[in-house]
Amino acid sequence: MTDRLARTIMSLAALSLGDSRRDWARAMQGELEAASEDGKGLAFATGCLIAAWREMPVQAEGRFVLATYAFAVGLLLPVAALQFGCAAGYSYAGQAGSFGVLAQGSVHQPYLATAYLAAIPSLLALWALLGIGHIRLAWAMLDQDWPRVVRIGTANVAMSATLMIFTVVLFLGDTGAGLQAAALAVELAAIHGFARWHARISSNALSEALA
Amino acid sequence: MPRNRRPSKQMLMVLEALSSGGRQWRHGYDLMKETGLQSGTLYPLLMRMTGQGLVEAEWREPAQPGRPARHAYRLTVAGVAFARAGVGSDTTLSGKAALA
Repeated sequence: MTDRLARTIMSLAALSLGDSRRDWARAMQGELEAASEDGKGLAFATGCLIAAWREMPVQAEGRFVLATYAFAVGLLLPVAALQFGCAAGYSYAGQAGSFGVLAQGSVHQPYLATAYLAAIPSLLALWALLGIGHIRLAWAMLDQDWPRVVRIGTANVAMSATLMIFTVVLFLGDTGAGLQAAALAVELAAIHGFARWHARISSNALSEALA
Repeated sequence: MPRNRRPSKQMLMVLEALSSGGRQWRHGYDLMKETGLQSGTLYPLLMRMTGQGLVEAEWREPAQPGRPARHAYRLTVAGVAFARAGVGSDTTLSGKAALA
């Protein structure tokens, strides 16, 4: 059990060290056997994880990984939570929530009541899908899988555009649509910046390998 | 990159361990046992010292089949000179400067 935990911690340390320190990760993994034989595998692996985390801000790749985690946890996941909140009918941007707004709309404009009620399931499903899309986007970014980031990002843009059109048409000047657009613009700009940063790191690593 | 700062106490311990017994190859875990340093301290030091050209690393075949290959370390010529200067007189010379 302890050995398995030590190996798991060591795998995490190897992941944290990244490609540029791959040899060092293998070196630590090689020594884990010797440490485990002395019954000190867990302490050794924990020390290696601390070493890997201490190295992260020092290396360009490590700084990139830390920044992507901060972006994913600090922005993408809260936005996903917001989308799920909208899908569940909770309020945002000082509004009464999607159920409330739709119900209000149907009261104020009774001749559109059928349209409002018909729109509810599609809108809620879109919000939920957008929430899932943000979680998948965060995962793809942490994986540094840029083709997948582009695919998911495009799907998110399409869903957001549909939602904005729906909300503007149905709610007539809903401030939530503006917020959605602003959040989307920030996200796309940041993802573009991250992709360029990653390309620069990869290019530098390739130059160093060829030198 | 030249090193202009005084070597830390931990670095002096690693230099001393690596310079004892000539330029023999040593495994990371053996160095931990000899110096008493934890892996969280030893490995960042070894990474820095390798980057500074004071230590060289080499992959060694496992002693028993089925075991992973192990990294072994020893001082470079610059490292030996730096260790003599650093351990002996606590100098502030760089490894490369000590070699020159």
